[in-house]
Amino acid sequence: MSLLRVENLSIQFGGVQAIQELDFEISEGTIHSIIGPNGAGKTTLFNLITGLYRPSAGAIYLDDAQIAGKRPHDLARMGLSRTFQNLRIMMNMTAIENVMVGRHLHLNRNLLACMLRLPMITRADKAARKRCIELMDLVGLGGAIDADASALPYGALKRLEIARALASEPRLLLLDEPAAGLNARETKEIDDVIATVARAGVTVVLVEHDMKLVMGISDHILVLDHGRKLAEGTPDAVRNNPAVVAAYLGQV
Amino acid sequence: MADIRPSGYSKHRKKQTYTRRLGTRATPMQVLMSERIGGMGALIVIIAALPLLLANNYQYDVAITIGINAIVVVGLNLLIGYAGQISLGHAGFFALGAYASAILTARYGLHGALAMPLGALGVGLLAYIIARPILRLSGHYLAMATLGVGVIINIVISREAWLTGGPDGMYVPPLEVWGVELYGGPIWYWIVAAFLVLAVWISLNIIDSPVGRALRGLHGAEVAAEVAGVDTTRYKVMVFVISAVMASVAGSLAAHFSEFVTPEKASFFHSILFVTMVVFGGMASTFGAVVGAAVLTLLPQLLADFASYEHMILGLIMMAVMIFMPRGLVPTLTGLARRRGARR
Ligand SMILES: Nc1ncnc2c1ncn2[C@@H]1O[C@H](COP(=O)(O)OP(=O)(O)OP(=O)(O)O)[C@@H](O)[C@H]1O
Ligand SMILES: [Mg+2]
Repeated sequence: MSLLRVENLSIQFGGVQAIQELDFEISEGTIHSIIGPNGAGKTTLFNLITGLYRPSAGAIYLDDAQIAGKRPHDLARMGLSRTFQNLRIMMNMTAIENVMVGRHLHLNRNLLACMLRLPMITRADKAARKRCIELMDLVGLGGAIDADASALPYGALKRLEIARALASEPRLLLLDEPAAGLNARETKEIDDVIATVARAGVTVVLVEHDMKLVMGISDHILVLDHGRKLAEGTPDAVRNNPAVVAAYLGQV
Repeated sequence: MADIRPSGYSKHRKKQTYTRRLGTRATPMQVLMSERIGGMGALIVIIAALPLLLANNYQYDVAITIGINAIVVVGLNLLIGYAGQISLGHAGFFALGAYASAILTARYGLHGALAMPLGALGVGLLAYIIARPILRLSGHYLAMATLGVGVIINIVISREAWLTGGPDGMYVPPLEVWGVELYGGPIWYWIVAAFLVLAVWISLNIIDSPVGRALRGLHGAEVAAEVAGVDTTRYKVMVFVISAVMASVAGSLAAHFSEFVTPEKASFFHSILFVTMVVFGGMASTFGAVVGAAVLTLLPQLLADFASYEHMILGLIMMAVMIFMPRGLVPTLTGLARRRGARR
């Protein structure tokens, strides 16, 4: 059964048709990549799926429940999580505090208990911290746990986005260009992280321009162009699709 | 739920340079430097020692006013400094608390200890009702809307003379506990001190909890916090209500202490003063809020000798601090101290 299903999805901004009548499915436990040239609508699609945008038409189903139009924090509760292409790091917090915000839904948020700092709050925070340190280790940030986020270099912030997104223990993780701006070695590390995450049973949707990364790791690829589906299939099928070669791969 | 372990990533474990990991103990110095223990300790020591220096009623008055302002500013700092929202109307909530205590005790004969929480409850409810529509705004628009709230409260208090005494203000009966009237500087000093310590403690607790991280998170990256599951609207409303309630409680204390309330308490200038104290002491610093309240309450008193130049000198000092310490007094100074410590 598919975990996520998109039907006839469209959104326009003024005159721009960012996503047009898009249909696709993502099955559970796979790594699903979405590729396409700049402006193809990949980030817009993520924004639609995570509830930041409301579609002009169409539907999005998570486990057969219609989720289009739901608010992002409700979708987080349903198991959605994501990273941002343009970093959205809380620069006023430390690295691990950023990750702990990602843990929000798993913690006791009762105001009175927090105000009085009841033992259960400190105990849960300690356990959460431990868990978040593990996640930071996983993405290679074990050396920057209590560093101010604002003091970290770009590459570290990209990883921090991933650690924060993982902290909510999502079922569906959307990664928007996690390797953009990283060198070959760092890209390889991100590659390993994605593989580890997928092996743990998380369904991953990856938007990425690095074709080596995409072709190597994906079970399934969706190619977007001008907001429409250009092609879809296994990496090999997509690689050899003449339309894709002409419209996208040919340019690079 | 998926369990993701960092298997095969042990190489990163060696890179621990400038962090304190879970297992390692904090040194006694680190504990003393920490905001919670060190800061609370310092605050309590200062509060306990200060009466030794207070020579007369006037000085007690100033100290108590500092405490009352600090309670408001600690709350406002949660809203402005931590959650990144602005309010130019909090003097309105302060005044509502003061008038609730005044009216409920003077006109309806309620006990002051009952009037204060009732006032706080009413103000909390009002803040909740107006917060939902208002906190959809941000930046200048939020500033304008909250300013409007303050102005409306001020006008209502001035106009409804039958209830509030109008522009002349009204008398407030002294607080009475077991037949004893609480009157005079020394007693009020300890009452206000207790409330201030409580306010600081609650503020520190909130900040260092899931709620506090949600507030700071929505300040730092609202969309990311929302996507992480933080109901940002709800948290903005929550912190607005908390800060309004703290202002209301401070207002009640002020009313009983001075035994008189005037609409002046709700004035726009008073709101600005509170915000200035937050910024001056240092945004997102609970102790900065206390220091900001102390310095900006004290300075005008110290400068009173300069008569007509008082406001000019005050303005210059504030400009100088903001130019040379843009993060505010306390964060700048603790930052300096930490860097000194690190170099050694
Ligand atoms: N909020 C918005 N308002 C107006 N136009 C938008 C908005 N968001 C996206 N667009 C437009 O939608 C189109 C798709 O943009 P999108 O960011 O989704 O592309 P992308 O595939 O992620 O590109 P890139 O590879 O550069 O990240 C672009 O033409 C963009 O200008
Ligand atoms: Mg994009």
